[in-house]
Amino acid sequence: MTGPAENSLGSTGPAASPRSSPERKRQRRLSSTVAPVFGLVLLFGGWEVYVRLSGVSPLTLPPPTRIIRHLVAEPSFYVRNGWVTLSEALIGFFMALLTALGLAIVMAHWRFAERAMVPVIVLVQSTPIAVLAPVFLLWFGFSATPKILVAALFAFVPFVSNALGGMKSIDRHTLEVLRSVDARWWEILWHLRLPHALPALFAAARVCVGLALVGAVIGELYGGSTRGLGYQARIAQSRSLVDQLWGSVLALALIGIVLTLLVMTLERRVLKWHTSQAPI
Amino acid sequence: MGTDRAATVEVRARGLGKTFDSDGRRTEVLAGVDFEIEAGEFVSLLGPSGCGKSTLLRLIGGLIMPDAGEITVAGQAPQVGRRSKRFGLVPQTPALLPWRTVRQNLTLLPRLNRGRGDAPRGDAARKAIDVDRLLDSVGLADFAHALPAELSGGMQQRVSLARAFALRPPILLMDEPFAALDEITRSHMRFLLLDLWVDTNATVVFVTHSIEEAVLLSDRVMVLTNRPGHISADVTIDLPRPRRHGIEDDDGFHRHTAALRAALNGATATPIS
Repeated sequence: MTGPAENSLGSTGPAASPRSSPERKRQRRLSSTVAPVFGLVLLFGGWEVYVRLSGVSPLTLPPPTRIIRHLVAEPSFYVRNGWVTLSEALIGFFMALLTALGLAIVMAHWRFAERAMVPVIVLVQSTPIAVLAPVFLLWFGFSATPKILVAALFAFVPFVSNALGGMKSIDRHTLEVLRSVDARWWEILWHLRLPHALPALFAAARVCVGLALVGAVIGELYGGSTRGLGYQARIAQSRSLVDQLWGSVLALALIGIVLTLLVMTLERRVLKWHTSQAPI
Repeated sequence: MGTDRAATVEVRARGLGKTFDSDGRRTEVLAGVDFEIEAGEFVSLLGPSGCGKSTLLRLIGGLIMPDAGEITVAGQAPQVGRRSKRFGLVPQTPALLPWRTVRQNLTLLPRLNRGRGDAPRGDAARKAIDVDRLLDSVGLADFAHALPAELSGGMQQRVSLARAFALRPPILLMDEPFAALDEITRSHMRFLLLDLWVDTNATVVFVTHSIEEAVLLSDRVMVLTNRPGHISADVTIDLPRPRRHGIEDDDGFHRHTAALRAALNGATATPIS
């Protein structure tokens, strides 16, 4: 046995002497990439092990490896239908963003409009939007429009409340400095209110990409479509195509993850000045 | 040296009053405020917290409207002065735009509200040189491209100061700009302000609750007493300029602080000399 002192000197354990900066950086990068992957591995690993050990029928719950094999075997099917759902979700997402921004700008500048719109927004928030999907189907028929509308409605409320909150919570002193040179309302909007609302808008966007995707899928589930992952999941369920059902679910999850990562990457670039991006 | 400057009245208030209404509770913040401030004068508004100093500063700057009396800046309503960019405002907090670099914070205000009012507009090149020289004179030349969050509180307040001077305003309005800083930084900031001011002909209205600060900086100190706030004493500070480090230990300095302390305590103000 060698002396414990010699061992601990060479170790990189948590008790080791003060870490050098590159060492620290490496550790941070490690934990920021390894930890999220670890979470997913735990989920899918646990799932796989459970299915194999419990002997549950793959028709009830197929193991993840089987779903992935199926996805890889039918790439064009999932790309084609995924693209349909993705484009519906994205159009709905941007429709919600633009409408919410426009409305929040009016509400931030005109007290009457704010008071008039708050009940309407609460109404939209409390309405089970999924129930509106058949109504939209009735109105707009077998097109992408009803799916886009459901997606937009899902994303609308988080966008409008965050945009309004961000634009109104500006610093009183900074506003006074701008007013002291008689800055016009659009100059205050452009130079103070909108940039100040960006962190809240990005926080909303992270949630809303997922919500818009859910909205598009719900729109497809209610029928009136011949394409899209939501539609294929419905068909698979009615024909007991378990692999296709789970394949659609996994493909949707993948699209959701990629979209959220895209938003977060953009956020990191745009919000360099914001405290939320400061290294810990 | 206020006496050397042309004795034209820059700010005039007559019977000025302001009442705030919140949830049915009326608070009379200012009442019967009369004063004149000459062009080029450095005047401090001294008083305890909540006596209406900041409200008075906002009235001068046309950021709020009076409920009684009238106030003029260069003979016109303060709103006209605001439109023609007569004011450089330095609030209590640095109030910088966190998404703009130090330099971009300095160049923003001159770019706003263009083509309105009657302020002389210099050519872009002259303005650009000014910004870098200003940054140099507040000791932040190396931080021109830093974001506000990367600076200390004192450095941020220096940016805020430079931003106001970058407008070359005839009137500087300062609302306890150094109150949040530590004692050592605060002392440096006071002399930095005097150095920057001496190169301009600007009138300064400086809100403070520090007697020493008021004496050190001002040509004249107006003492505000609440409630409602009114000017209870008007004390001329005839200490010679330029004022340098160590002036705080002079007898003259002590005489002035004693007089102001007495005025603040409600005694009859006796202007010195």
